Amino acid sequence: MKIPGRNIMKHFFTEREPGMDVKKEMKLMIVDDEERFLYAMEKLLTKKGYDVQTASSGEQCLEILEKKRLHVVILDIKMPGLDGLETLRRIKRLYPLVEVILLTGHATVESAVDGLKCGASDFLMKPISADDLLERVEDAFARSRAVAAKIDEARSRRFMQQSPGDILKDAAEEK
Amino acid sequence: MNNTDARMRKTVLFSMILVPVIPFVLVILVGYFYSAISIEARTVETLQRIVNDHRHMIDTFLRERRTNLEFVIHTNSFESLRRPHNLAFVYDNLRGVSNAFVDLGVFDENGLHVAYHGPHQLSGKVYKEEPWFVGVMQNGVHISDVFLGFRGYPHFIIAVARQENGKTWVLRATIDTYIFNDMVGRIRIGKSGEAYIINNDGVFQTAPLAGDLLLQPDPNRSLYLMPHDGIKTFMSNPNIPGVFQPYFGRDAYLYATTWLEEKPWLMVVRQEKKDAFRNLRFAMYLIAGIVVTGLTAIVGLAFHQTGRVIHRIKRMDAEKKGLENQLIRATRLAELGQMAAGFAHEINNPLQVIRGEQALMEFIITEMREKPEGIDDGSLAELEDSIRQMTVQISRCSHITQAILSFGRNTEPDMEDIRLDDFFAEIIAMISNKAAVHGISINQRIGGDAPLIHGDKGLLQQVLLNLLNNAIDAVLEKHGSRGGEILVYAGRAEDGQVEISVQDNGAGISAENMDKIFTPFFTTKPPGKGTGLGLSVCYGIVENLGGEMSVSSHEDAGTTFTLRFPAAGK
Repeated sequence: MKIPGRNIMKHFFTEREPGMDVKKEMKLMIVDDEERFLYAMEKLLTKKGYDVQTASSGEQCLEILEKKRLHVVILDIKMPGLDGLETLRRIKRLYPLVEVILLTGHATVESAVDGLKCGASDFLMKPISADDLLERVEDAFARSRAVAAKIDEARSRRFMQQSPGDILKDAAEEK
Repeated sequence: MNNTDARMRKTVLFSMILVPVIPFVLVILVGYFYSAISIEARTVETLQRIVNDHRHMIDTFLRERRTNLEFVIHTNSFESLRRPHNLAFVYDNLRGVSNAFVDLGVFDENGLHVAYHGPHQLSGKVYKEEPWFVGVMQNGVHISDVFLGFRGYPHFIIAVARQENGKTWVLRATIDTYIFNDMVGRIRIGKSGEAYIINNDGVFQTAPLAGDLLLQPDPNRSLYLMPHDGIKTFMSNPNIPGVFQPYFGRDAYLYATTWLEEKPWLMVVRQEKKDAFRNLRFAMYLIAGIVVTGLTAIVGLAFHQTGRVIHRIKRMDAEKKGLENQLIRATRLAELGQMAAGFAHEINNPLQVIRGEQALMEFIITEMREKPEGIDDGSLAELEDSIRQMTVQISRCSHITQAILSFGRNTEPDMEDIRLDDFFAEIIAMISNKAAVHGISINQRIGGDAPLIHGDKGLLQQVLLNLLNNAIDAVLEKHGSRGGEILVYAGRAEDGQVEISVQDNGAGISAENMDKIFTPFFTTKPPGKGTGLGLSVCYGIVENLGGEMSVSSHEDAGTTFTLRFPAAGK
C-alpha cells in the first residue's frame, strides 16, 4: 500500500539522532485477533530487542494504553468486537501522540482513506514481512519523536520568555 | 402465456372498437333523426302552402265569376237582357273581365231559354227539370261540376237567379275550364309533385298528370274523399308511418288536401315520397356510406393499433426481463466483488501468520548459525512449532480455496433418486465418531413412507455434513461435552414436498446475525476455525438442486435448518 506523500513525510521527519537506541526507547504494541500472529511477532521482536506488547482485541488495546505510555500501535482493522477503525478513533481522541499503523488483509481504498482521516499514520496490507513492518514502525516512531521534540521546543521557548515565577506558577497549574 | 396474450388482445381490440363506435353511431343516429324531422316538416309545409295557395286561387276565380254574374243580373232587368243586343253588350263586357266566359244565357222561371249569346245557337229549349236549374231556383246560385256536354270540351256553368216583379229569372254563363286547368295543372313540385281537383263524387275536375283521366273517377278517391276542415296531410299508404321508414316505392305518396269554399270540390296536391324526401334519401345513402367507411376504418385501425400495442407490450416485457437479467448479473458481480474481497481477507490473514512464523524461523536460524554451539532443544522446539503452525495455516488457506471452488462450481449436478433412510445412515456413520467424542447423541427420525428425493448425492452429503458440523459446534458452545442432542428428520410436507431438517439444542443464532448467516465469509467462529463459507455454499447447492433452505433459531435454545425438495418422480 503506497500512500502518496509518505516519502515526503519521511524526508521531513526522519531525523534520527545518531547513536540513539531506537529499539530500547520505542514502546510498541500489536493488536490483532490472530493469536498465533501475536505470539510469533512478540517472540521475534522480543528476541530482536524491541519492547513489544500484544493485545487480541480493541478493548484490550485500550486497557493497556490506559496503563502504559506507548509510541506506536499496529492495529488490525477487522476484529470482532471493537473493530480497528473504532479503536483508532478512541486512541486518537485519548492519546493523540500515539502513532497508529493500520494493518488489514482486506485492502480497499475506502478503508485506507477512512483510516488516514481518523489519524492513522500509515496503512499496511497483509501479508507484510517482519522487516518491512519494522521499517514502517521505526518511521512512525521517528515522526512521534519529531512531534514530541517540537512540543518540547515550543514549551522551552515559552519558559525562556517567562519569569521564573510564572514558570513555577504554570508548573503548579499543570499539576 | 399464449392464452393471456389472446385475452389481452381481445380486451384491447374490444375497447379500441367500442370506444369510437359508440359516439360515432350516436352522432349518426341523432344527426339523421333531427335532419329527417326538419326535412319532413319543411316538405309538408311546402305542400300545405301550395295546396292552400291554389285553393285560394280557384276559390277566388269562382267567386269572381259568380260575382260578375250577380252584378250583371242585379244591374240589368229581365226585359233588357232578353234583347240580344243588350245581352251581346253585357257578354262583351264580361269577356273584358275574364275570357273564361264562353257564353251567356237568360232563362225565365219556367226554364225556357229566352236569350243566348255565344258560339252556339241554343235559345228556345226548356231546362226546367235540369238539376242545375232546380239548384239555382232553390239556392239563387249554382255552380256545376265540369262536364263535356255536347260542346265536346270540358266546361262548367255558373247560374244566378233574381226575383224581379214577383218572377224569378236566371242568368247562366258557361265557363271554359282551360284557365283553371292551367292554374291547377301548372303546379309542379319536384319531378312527381302535382295538383288536381276532384268533385264530391271523386271524379277528376282537372286532368291529373298520369293518364287521360279527366272526368273519370279518381282511383285513389277513397284515400281522401271525406269531409274535413282546413288542410289535411297524410301518407298514401297507412303502413308507412312516417319519413323514418326507409320505404320509397312508387305507391308511397305524400298528400295534402283541402276543400274549396265556393263549391264542394277537393283540391289535392301530392308528391311521391321518394321525390319529396330525395334530400333525405341522399343523406341516408351518404350516411350509410359514412357508416360503412367509418366502421371499416375504426375496425381496421383497431386491429392495427392492437397489433402495435401488443407488440410494444411484448417488447417491454422482453426489455424488463433483460433488465432483470442484467440486475441479476450485476448483483452476481457485486457478490463476486464482495467475495473476492472476503477471499483476500481470509487468505491474507493466514498468510500474515505464515510470514510471522517465517520471520521468527529466520531469526532463530540466524541465531543458531551465529553460535552453533548454543543450539538447544528450546530453539529446535520453537522451529518445529513454527513449522507445524505454518502447516496449519496452509491447510486453512487451502480450505478456503476449496470452499471457494465449490461455491463457484456451476457444473450440472449428478442427479439420482436418493433413499433418505440409507442416506441418513451413511451420513450419521460419518459423523457419529466426532459426535460421540463430544458426548452428543444424534437421533434420526424418518416420517411416513421413507420418501425418495431426486438430487446429487455428493452435494447433498456436503450440505448435511456441514449442517451437522455446525450443529455439533453450536451444541458444544452451549453444553460442552454433555447433554448435546441433534435430531435429523426427513418426512413429507403438507404440500407433497420432502422436508429434511437438522435440529440441535445448541447456542442458537442471535437476531442480529440471523440475516447474515448465508452471507459468504460471515462467521462467528474465531480466526482459522471457520471460513464463513459453509452455509453460503450449502444455500447455493440446495438452490441448485431445486430446493429451498430456511432456518429458525432461538438464542440459547437451539437452531433448526430445514431443507425442502420436490419429491422424486415429480
